[in-house]
Amino acid sequence: MSLDQLMQVPGALAAFQYDDKGDLQAHQVKEGSELTPQVLDLLAHTCVANMAIATMEARGWEALTGQTGFEPVQAFSLVGLDWSAVVGRNLGVVVKNRDADYEAAFAALANCQA
Amino acid sequence: MRIISQLMAIPGVIAAGEYAFRGDRYSFEGNMTDELARMASILCRSNTLAVNMQAEIFSAFSENCGCKPVQGWIVRGKAMSVCVVGNFFCFCQNMPGLLNDVMTILRAKVGDIEENPLVYMYAKLGGDVNEKLY
Repeated sequence: MSLDQLMQVPGALAAFQYDDKGDLQAHQVKEGSELTPQVLDLLAHTCVANMAIATMEARGWEALTGQTGFEPVQAFSLVGLDWSAVVGRNLGVVVKNRDADYEAAFAALANCQA
Repeated sequence: MRIISQLMAIPGVIAAGEYAFRGDRYSFEGNMTDELARMASILCRSNTLAVNMQAEIFSAFSENCGCKPVQGWIVRGKAMSVCVVGNFFCFCQNMPGLLNDVMTILRAKVGDIEENPLVYMYAKLGGDVNEKLY
């Protein structure tokens, strides 16, 4: 199960799965975390929006500058005060900033989506 | 050493810069023209404002949600990543270990991981934080 794998990421507080519109499909939250399903649902919607915006910007940037390597956008991370949300296409994980290993989180997302 | 110079000391960092939140000033180092740095500054500033707005909405749903204020954001492309913390941006290659080093420096200097004095101290020296620490 993908969410179980994502919960193994260092500092994971929650893992969630969402559809293409951003509606929360499934989630796991670490005991003691203040993250609620409502917040995760909102987070999923913002992630879909941010991934779309990032794709638009990456495509525009590559066309304008001739630089490559930005597209396709594989993942996005919102770095908050206490935690970071790291999201891929339809999966996301929330990690505690103090223990955050962004590369491990991105790699876990890539493995789950492979 | 300036944060931008510290970031540029890490192998794999393409360009790094700082922009004013009001949007009319910026400085940068690296493989980027002045016009590209201006565009990158505008892009990063607008995205930062957007994620801050999103965090405001989160906090309306959960008072102590732990997301506000937002420190920054990362976009990971096929071979390149863009990292932004505060009003600093960094364009870097997707090389093993690089992203965590960049984020450690950015968060230590601009963000809030000062509770780890070793990371904070070494981040001030610049270069490869992991190599110096471990």
